[in-house]
Amino acid sequence: MKGRKYSFSFVLQVVLSLSAVLAVLLPVFLAGNLWPTAARDYLERNGVKESGAKNLVSAIYLGYRAFDTLGETIVLLVAVSGTITIIAHSGISLAKGFAGAGLAKPGSKSQLIARRTELIDVVTGKLGPIVLIFGLYVMLFGHLSPGGGFQGGVVVASGIVFISLGSKTDRSTQLQKAGVLARLEAAGFLFLVFAALAGILGGHGFFGNPFAGTGASAGTYIVALNAIIGLKVGAGIGFMCVAMLGRVD
Amino acid sequence: MAERVLLILLCLIGFWGIIAKKNIIKKIFGLYILNSAVVILFVVEGARIGENAPIMAEGVSHVADPLPQALMLTAIVIGVCITSLALAIAFRLYRFANTFDIDEIRRKIRHAST
Repeated sequence: MKGRKYSFSFVLQVVLSLSAVLAVLLPVFLAGNLWPTAARDYLERNGVKESGAKNLVSAIYLGYRAFDTLGETIVLLVAVSGTITIIAHSGISLAKGFAGAGLAKPGSKSQLIARRTELIDVVTGKLGPIVLIFGLYVMLFGHLSPGGGFQGGVVVASGIVFISLGSKTDRSTQLQKAGVLARLEAAGFLFLVFAALAGILGGHGFFGNPFAGTGASAGTYIVALNAIIGLKVGAGIGFMCVAMLGRVD
Repeated sequence: MAERVLLILLCLIGFWGIIAKKNIIKKIFGLYILNSAVVILFVVEGARIGENAPIMAEGVSHVADPLPQALMLTAIVIGVCITSLALAIAFRLYRFANTFDIDEIRRKIRHAST
């Protein structure tokens, strides 16, 4: 935007609309109402007992409001498929500069895109598996500590991106193939639907805990849901990133 | 109070990015900043009634309200979905017009349709 002169009317419009938004937002942001404590008090007393998760946020989004989480994963699935469709239909030659770094001629425009150093190869390649393990930790301990399926899934996705950046040409793992990730995401969604239906067989209802009467620890179902959602989110967002890197087969 | 004034500023920065920037990538970033401002507002509001994280280990009491945090988890995921879709559409527009400038894209679309 350097050197561009804005016209006076444009600046006036921007200032007017910003002050209009400010006038609308001020009461929302500065309201001094007391935050109701009823929900917090109830969850503090009964949350761990009823859901088995010490992390109350996990208890809400996988226990009390698991139905919302199903909708959320559907939104993610639709967004990933939409993004992939749009990218695939508009060609992926922009991102190819990154994969074919050695082919760029010096001084050509594509060299700017293809700038990658040995540092990126070494650091991301070595860091990738560690990030994947950390993602699994965040995913599986979501009921006890900060974290959960979505957060762990995103960390797993960044691990996949690291591995994909780190390997120059040879594919040492299946995790950077777009087709494998797409199938993993579809399988994750299928598992989630099965996990949601599993409670019906035992008479606990949709998204009911199927382990309720079996003597298993109360958090088992939460851990299972966290693992499934983490698999789905990690594969989905990893798929999107790998596709944006130009690695669609 | 100070944190709310900062959040209003963050909100306005996002809105300014949407309306005043010509580059569509910057517009999308503005959208995401707006989204983040709302997310932080909810978390800050929920944390007004307690200062501990809502993880019920032994002896923890006086926790923040976990309800807005669980709600904002949904909002974050939706925000990521919107950003990725918008970026894909921006990429498609770039393939069509070879530029991210919104005026240029509009001019080229008008030129192509006549």
